[in-house]
Amino acid sequence: MAVSLPISAVADPSPARPVAAAPAPGANAPSVTLPLAFVLVGLAALLAGMGWLVVRPGILAAYHYNQYVIAATHLFVLGWICSVVMGAMYQLVPVALETKLYSQRLARWQFAFHVAGFTGMVWMFRKWNMEEVAHFGSAFAFGVVLFVYNLARTLRRVPRWNVTAAAVASALAWLSLAIIAGLSLAAAKCTYDGVSESSAVGPILHVFKSVAGFVARFDAISAMHAHAHLGGVGCFTMLIVGVSYKLIPMFTLSEVQSHRRAAWSVALLNLGLAGSFVTILLRSRWKPAFALVIVAALAVYGWEIVAILRARKRRALDWGIKYFLTAVAMLLPVSALAIVLSWPRLPLNAFTGQLENAYGFLGLLGVVTFAIMGMLYKIVPFLVWFGCYSRQIGRVRVPALADLYSARLQAAGYWAFLAGLAVACAGIVTSSEAGVRWGCGLLALSTLTLAVNVGSMLSHFSRPRLKPLTFQSSTVLKTA
Amino acid sequence: MNTTELDEAAVLEALRQVMDPELGCNIVDLGLLYSVAITGSKVTVMMTLTTPGCPMHESISWGVKNALLGLEHVEDVEVGLVWDPPWNPAMMTESGRKATGVGSF
Repeated sequence: MAVSLPISAVADPSPARPVAAAPAPGANAPSVTLPLAFVLVGLAALLAGMGWLVVRPGILAAYHYNQYVIAATHLFVLGWICSVVMGAMYQLVPVALETKLYSQRLARWQFAFHVAGFTGMVWMFRKWNMEEVAHFGSAFAFGVVLFVYNLARTLRRVPRWNVTAAAVASALAWLSLAIIAGLSLAAAKCTYDGVSESSAVGPILHVFKSVAGFVARFDAISAMHAHAHLGGVGCFTMLIVGVSYKLIPMFTLSEVQSHRRAAWSVALLNLGLAGSFVTILLRSRWKPAFALVIVAALAVYGWEIVAILRARKRRALDWGIKYFLTAVAMLLPVSALAIVLSWPRLPLNAFTGQLENAYGFLGLLGVVTFAIMGMLYKIVPFLVWFGCYSRQIGRVRVPALADLYSARLQAAGYWAFLAGLAVACAGIVTSSEAGVRWGCGLLALSTLTLAVNVGSMLSHFSRPRLKPLTFQSSTVLKTA
Repeated sequence: MNTTELDEAAVLEALRQVMDPELGCNIVDLGLLYSVAITGSKVTVMMTLTTPGCPMHESISWGVKNALLGLEHVEDVEVGLVWDPPWNPAMMTESGRKATGVGSF
């Protein structure tokens, strides 16, 4: 005889409709080692980048078309942002979209190409050896091909296509274009005097020369700006927008309030970026029009985020979400700067150059880095908890995610980051090396708080904190 | 085995040991359980999670199995994870709302 128990805690214990089955538990669980490896490489790059700016603040207090700014930018973008984003996507895309990663083996190979590629690129940018940049860039690009292929095959398995999946697919496409544009820029700066077209590599050389000839038609700085927007807006901002629609409702116990609004934000972002890429590259007077389309996309996105937050059931926001939402709010000053800088009649003087520095700095640090730091406080505890405790739950008392790190240190990191951002931006705009140094010092301090917290989380692998279960009544347990 | 040896209180008490690590609250007070059926030494649990694609779904399912297999007289546990009807915060108990900071309904 079957005995069915009423679930006294549930408001409606017996669903009136037949229940729909979910995927079997365990079907989508990826390994935690690889995402953690990407995150640790990313953190090391961020610390190195912050340290570099503290030692050499002059590189941000001058115009950005020089080897040091370009090297530092690639350290932040490829070493920090791409590392964390790629590691997180291997973990989160299958989970969030209820499918399974296509190949963990490909992901491990990509990690090797990624680390070798970006470290070599940054070093060679610093030495301004563009031929070596192109070589290391090709290794990095091969890693990106593996990454995009792996994620594209994963997306093909998605059972229910939604706005997050569309945004992830768009971001992968823009990332691919950003890499192609970057390699083309490097090809245009190489010299091919030492190699004959009749040699074994002649056909490849011919392609490189053709690409170099094509890229040379465009203004070098405009081409660099267009390339930067493909990565910064097309890949990173697109991911922030798309992932928000899944993660913000998940962590605040809310729901997307208008799927149509969410879809419009992604569509407008794609349209605005396509137009911006062309108009920036051509120095067209239509630049402000497409900048406004991107701003409109972000306004629609902000509108939806506010609606999601207003409908949330969990009133208190934890610090991880506060980091992320502050980063989203930073889109306001970045958008305002974008409109100003897109203006065709803007005088090309030293102050405009510093505004461009501030725009890039605020976009990469204020928006993308701050958002990633917030999400790392969700991703790393999950990875560590999953690796240490997921098989112990129910047998012994395991810590909650929030118990794995110090919330006070997290809060201190938040305020240090905000203060550092304000001081560094003021230093950049006024070309003050002292301002940049102090600001980046505060940002480095904030990064250290994150690093200490990540170290504290990782310590659970060597020292798990397990406690015996506590029962209120005389529940009969099996004896060992 | 006599089914009366396994009672509701013991099962719910065991399931209260399974915490959602993100929300810091047990699955009973979160209102994630839809039904529990005892057939001999087998317990079948139908439950949901706060959101489809919740990254904790595997762990929580394991937790339910671990907790119930630790009870005397339980030899087999089946966990059915369902998304329909979807979870909503009104399903939480008062102590669940307090633990998670969710407002009243």
